[in-house]
Amino acid sequence: MARITAGVGSSHVPLMGVAVDQGKTGDDYFGPIFKGYEWTRAWEREQKPDVIVLVYNDHASAFDANIIPTFAIGCGDRYKPADEGWGPRPVPDVEGHADLAWHIAQCLILDEFDMTIINELDVDHGLTVPLSMMFGTPAKWPCRVIPLAVNVVTYPVPSGNRCWALGEAIARAVASFPGDLNVQVWGTGGMSHQLQGPRAGLLNREWDNRFMDMLEADNDLARHIPHIEYLRETGSEGIEMVMWLIMRGALGQKVKRLHRHYHIPCSNTAIGHIVLGPVE
Amino acid sequence: MTKVADIQAYLDELEDIPGTRVYTAQRARLGYHLNQFAMSLMKPENRERWMADERAYLDQWPLSEDQKLAVLARDYNRLLDLGGNIYFMSKIFSTDGIPFAEACSTMTDMTFPEYREMMLKGGRSPIGNRSIKGGY
Repeated sequence: MARITAGVGSSHVPLMGVAVDQGKTGDDYFGPIFKGYEWTRAWEREQKPDVIVLVYNDHASAFDANIIPTFAIGCGDRYKPADEGWGPRPVPDVEGHADLAWHIAQCLILDEFDMTIINELDVDHGLTVPLSMMFGTPAKWPCRVIPLAVNVVTYPVPSGNRCWALGEAIARAVASFPGDLNVQVWGTGGMSHQLQGPRAGLLNREWDNRFMDMLEADNDLARHIPHIEYLRETGSEGIEMVMWLIMRGALGQKVKRLHRHYHIPCSNTAIGHIVLGPVE
Repeated sequence: MTKVADIQAYLDELEDIPGTRVYTAQRARLGYHLNQFAMSLMKPENRERWMADERAYLDQWPLSEDQKLAVLARDYNRLLDLGGNIYFMSKIFSTDGIPFAEACSTMTDMTFPEYREMMLKGGRSPIGNRSIKGGY
């Protein structure tokens, strides 16, 4: 049967993608950011996951203001990097896993999650930057990817509690899939940042690290953090961290921390990265 | 998060954050065409038409005069008030060739070099920036 073997949390700042694409990952500014991912790149080479369920948000690339799905799952075979206004990133196309994606979609709907199903989708930096951070610059991505796009832009966004519960449901769905697959769940976005208004530039090292502590803990208290706390403490875009809760919810009650990294700043954003394994 | 029972209290809290316009349903409704106009700049042929005559391009969209003037002035704080969402507005400043961090700085009381310096030193502190009413 398919099994979830690990969870990864990571920021998905577009500038990290730019650094990869322009070969600047070793300079004074980016060096400390990318150093924190070296452990994970080596670990992923050993782990050889078959499929990543990659939780991210679209940033007005594939979705405009017309249709706003709260939770959307990509059930297609192939996804192209989106043109975000200056040409698509020079990274490989993303190969989906339609069988597992449709299976998860069916299970989630029967589990009373009202999913949106998407067959054709261009994936923006929210999805491709984490792939670059974890896998470097291969000619072809080493595994299949199931995009899971969450609305964290238009309020109300889903509650932390709902995100955690969705993670739990994804774990049940994966466990009921016939076939031996090594599946990871990645939650991306954050950490603290604010890209708008007179408060732009807000960062919160203490809160971000407390959040990572909570994810490592043997409890689910993080699911109860209200939207207003993310907004007050971590900036208007820090709310992306609810997507990490989907990853954490998919790992079960007890986890072990395999790796953790934090760095300020990357452009406007605090970089956070964590690797967690489930404990039976 | 326990279920939100009181929608008005939830929405009131979202308006209690200093220097921040949360992109609520009300703003999404007000800014729908403004955001769709900005989204249109994702296509190179639209960017060309926009750059050739900004006013004429704007006049093809059902925007308020206030929204049009704020776009022409690149007044992003005003645009947020008029329902613009920052990810959509980024299509405008990207077309202008302005990096995201520089556009952010234009919404603050800092110059871009000052803003960059603040970020390098650890960013803007949340202290005193969490609540208008509470002042903490």
